[in-house]
Amino acid sequence: MSQATPRPSRLRGVIRQILKQVGNSLIVLWGAATVAFFAQLLLPGDRATVILNIRAGQPQQRTADELAPIVNEFGLDRPVWVQYLDYLRGLVVGDFGTSYQQFRPVTAVIGEQLGATLILSVVAIAIAWVLMVVWITLTAGRGPRVGAVGTGVDVVAAGLPHYWLGIILLLVFALGLRWFPVIGGSEPIGLVLPALTLAIPLAGFMSQATRTEFERALDQPFVVTARMRGLSDLRVRLTHVLRHAVLPAVTLSGWALGATLSGAVVVETIFSRPGIGSVLVKAVDAHDLPVVVGIVTLVAVFYVLVNLLVDIAYLILDPRLKTS
Amino acid sequence: MTTVRSTPEASTLGRRLRRLPWTLVAALVFLGILAVAVIAPQALATHDPFALDYPASLRAPSAAHWFGTDESGRDLYSRVIWGARESVLIGLGAAAVGLAGAILLGSLAALGPRPVRATVDRFVEILFAFPALLLALLLVAIAGPSALTQIFAVGLGTAPGYARMVRGQILTAKDSGYVRAAVALGHSRSRIVRSHILPNALRPLVAIFALSVGQSIVWASSLSFLGLGVAPPASEWGALLDAGRSYIVQAGWLVVIPGLVIVALALTATTIGRHVQAGLERGEKS
Amino acid sequence: MRFTPTAAGATGLAAILALSACAGATTSTGERVDGGTIVYAHQQEPFCVFGGWIEQAYLSYQVLDNLTSLDENHEVVPWLATEWSTSEDGLTWTFTLKDGVEFTDGSPLTAEVVAYNFDYWVSGGNSTALVWLQDYYASAEAIDELTVQINLSAPYPRLADNLTQGYFGIQSQVALETRTDEENCAAPIGSGAFIVDHWDRGEEIVLVRNDEYTSWPANAEHTGPAYVEEIVWRFVPDATTRVAALQSGEVDAIYDVPAVQWQTLDDAGYQLEKYVTPGRPQQLAFNTQVGPFTDVLVRQAFAYSLDRRAAVEAIGQGVIPYEGNGGVSQTTPGYSQAAADWYDYDPEKANALLDEAGWTERDADGFRTKDGERLHVVLPYGAGSIINADGAAILQGVKEQASQVGFDVELIPVPLSELVAGAYSQPAERDINVGYWTAVTAGILYINWRPSTEEAPNYSNGAFYNDEVLAQLIRDANSAADIDEQNALYIEAQDYIAERALSIGLYDRLSTLAVDTSLKGVWQEHAQGGPTFYDAYLTE
Repeated sequence: MSQATPRPSRLRGVIRQILKQVGNSLIVLWGAATVAFFAQLLLPGDRATVILNIRAGQPQQRTADELAPIVNEFGLDRPVWVQYLDYLRGLVVGDFGTSYQQFRPVTAVIGEQLGATLILSVVAIAIAWVLMVVWITLTAGRGPRVGAVGTGVDVVAAGLPHYWLGIILLLVFALGLRWFPVIGGSEPIGLVLPALTLAIPLAGFMSQATRTEFERALDQPFVVTARMRGLSDLRVRLTHVLRHAVLPAVTLSGWALGATLSGAVVVETIFSRPGIGSVLVKAVDAHDLPVVVGIVTLVAVFYVLVNLLVDIAYLILDPRLKTS
Repeated sequence: MTTVRSTPEASTLGRRLRRLPWTLVAALVFLGILAVAVIAPQALATHDPFALDYPASLRAPSAAHWFGTDESGRDLYSRVIWGARESVLIGLGAAAVGLAGAILLGSLAALGPRPVRATVDRFVEILFAFPALLLALLLVAIAGPSALTQIFAVGLGTAPGYARMVRGQILTAKDSGYVRAAVALGHSRSRIVRSHILPNALRPLVAIFALSVGQSIVWASSLSFLGLGVAPPASEWGALLDAGRSYIVQAGWLVVIPGLVIVALALTATTIGRHVQAGLERGEKS
Repeated sequence: MRFTPTAAGATGLAAILALSACAGATTSTGERVDGGTIVYAHQQEPFCVFGGWIEQAYLSYQVLDNLTSLDENHEVVPWLATEWSTSEDGLTWTFTLKDGVEFTDGSPLTAEVVAYNFDYWVSGGNSTALVWLQDYYASAEAIDELTVQINLSAPYPRLADNLTQGYFGIQSQVALETRTDEENCAAPIGSGAFIVDHWDRGEEIVLVRNDEYTSWPANAEHTGPAYVEEIVWRFVPDATTRVAALQSGEVDAIYDVPAVQWQTLDDAGYQLEKYVTPGRPQQLAFNTQVGPFTDVLVRQAFAYSLDRRAAVEAIGQGVIPYEGNGGVSQTTPGYSQAAADWYDYDPEKANALLDEAGWTERDADGFRTKDGERLHVVLPYGAGSIINADGAAILQGVKEQASQVGFDVELIPVPLSELVAGAYSQPAERDINVGYWTAVTAGILYINWRPSTEEAPNYSNGAFYNDEVLAQLIRDANSAADIDEQNALYIEAQDYIAERALSIGLYDRLSTLAVDTSLKGVWQEHAQGGPTFYDAYLTE
């Protein structure tokens, strides 16, 4: 990559960049919503019959009279493109439709559960950052032997599947040692194991991305200068080197949110935690597509928003832009 | 570009082998065992993976049952061995689907006419906005759980990430000196793409493919674990783990061992992928 | 030994668990605490509180009262109805209601409300109440303020027994008429001991005490409002987690104890309750319209090929009872032991029958074939709903055992919602139907074996067996005035089913509870084995 050239007005450049990103994000969101909408049209069987039978709890052939209220409620008799436009209009005003099995708006279903999952995700990402920073500061640039251990742990941690790590943590710390509750519930103590399950592999991934940068930065002239100013090794590592090395990990944040939300699906199932992950699994099981589509779209929105923030953060954090 | 030099003496080969990092050796050994398990499971298995032996149910690992037995007295070791075929085939299939999609999208995004490039770019961006597992779940919600759904769901889930890589590789290759040279020599566009850009851009995919197989097996087993994959009594590893959960307190090995096997596989794929990648990079530099 | 470290690791974990498992149930002095909250962990979360599914009946039972209740001797005793009588011809039932009962929305319980509820059930309000009443129920009318008359089209002497099931809970007419479907789904209004406070979907339903409660059933152990103030009804699908939560004191009681944990909990001093539900057991019904099982020889061969008892006893660990009878379970009045003993494990007979039926060739995989077609049978099952983990393990045993004589059984786990959405409901889609249906009488046979007709299709006839002889036997039993005569006819019907191998039993469905010793007075209601918290109290 070529060095960023000095700009006459950095602020204006940043704003233009941000506006462009916002535009891109809107297109991506529209696309995501469209993909999600057409996915539900692919569901086999007559949709009105499926909805009615899911609600009634009995498989039956239905007469047109029986189906009429459902067809009416979901507007299934309209042409697909009208339904599509209606769906898009709903999204703009925050209406994701009605759940097939719960008689309730999808936004209400998701709204109830979103908090628990977001807290889990954010806590997991925070823990991952702490783990990663501590681990990197301790092991990077300490010679080949320590480095090998560091890298080895990175790789192993990154390779642990959530479902297995979660079960092992549950088995040892909740079922075995009884340090934590078995049912996650909404209390803070119940958050520890689920968050660790998500954080450990994430920390592994981020360490892999950061380690090389960190070691490269250790050799930079400014580090040498800092050492010569008499700063302690730890101080140098934490204040100067880390700042340069974490950029790749910052860019991973959007991906990290996606990964933790994906992981939440598994983790919430293992720890009997409420959240959109467990709702999603149930909805997939139940073919409750408005809920599935709602959650998937929502996650896409988060992804896009976080990436937007990351891009902005990048513009602010990147030392090359600042020093120029 | 370098040509592969053949080593004249066997002793050099031995020395080179000895110099290989132990992680790679372990990965290759595991890969070997896995290959045998996939091709000829009966050579490794000690029992019929489906044979019931109710009196011997939930036995801990022992000389008779290396990995212990499950609730029906079936031999877990043999079930893991027989399950390798399903797990690995699903992983290979998903990786193939994912990479095929990635190559198609990536090449279009890098080489297509301008409007196509822009559209495909956006499309990849859109797919990328869905985390892989969620995209896979969406597909399962529509098509219902099965091995085939698993392959396509996971393949679809991983394709956008790899598509970006492919696109990047092609763009780098397009910018390289020999392509510029070829353009200067007046070679046709299709010839340049065929004989210079694609071979160079796709070579790193060998490494990615190795990584992707490991990743795909983990994703696919996640689906099985959620009860959205292959049906029991098939012994696909994720399904084994899911079935073992009911007996986690009495028979922890039913969960711990299949999990270890999946982790070992994921690490093997990563190790091999990285070494292939490193080898390719060395090759490019010299 | 390459495998030693792994094995050691696993054993190490097991040791940690074994140590911790020694912690027993809470010891208590037994002094009753007033009020308090019971945390109860249940397996499945229904879509609505009231409905035609047993999971709904368990819940609505806490909130709604029925006309009648079943005591521990399976005698029908008064609940909302203080007395009842039948006319000479058996076509008219008269129920006298308890005076002064109010629903929790303040509206009074009247004969008119009860009549309204009957019409509500059969017009779609409760799918299971509908199949019990249809073909018998004609109309309901209020004679006076507290006397309701039910008119039948044919005699049904066991009507009062059936009305004890949770599907027949009485709701406020005002609530049904004025509130939205959504409100009535999430928090039906009854006159019960508890009121739905709120529902955190995916997590729990919170029920609070009805302080004005006046309408306890005659078989309750105390009078007045419930002892505890609140029930937190948690949904914890994973059985291991439920047990662990009980052991760690996070919950006071759990539903559906896995067989493998039963002994551990028993040793640790927990109160264990097991109720073998009457009605249809977990059974295999064969498709008699399409596929290989249209041939009675093949059905019988399948039955002989299975060592059902071995599978059930191994997986069930002595907790789950083996059931050979495909018609009704051993706790059902009018049970036929002969039907249960009809088919023993006899692979030679199975092989001979298959040879006789023309399935003589074997293919490369060892499965039998006929005219080049493999003896392949499809067995879908409601995984995690109708069939729990223990049941799924038993079905895998069935598949393996049947394969020994050459059946290729394909097990397909199906999510509940897919089943209710109509998957595998057509004759062309499945060969074996597995499932139970709880009931209090052998009248369940009518629901499961009534012939399906164009005008009145019967989706509960798992064998697709439309046979008037069998149907008439059951109809006669349903309407027989004398209990002994009823039972004799029901037994005849079960033997008819067994002889033709239309359905074979597998195991009896259980409702099980494990309760911490600090919680007293929890009992299983006798219609379906659901937990009853009305008499429950916490101790010091």
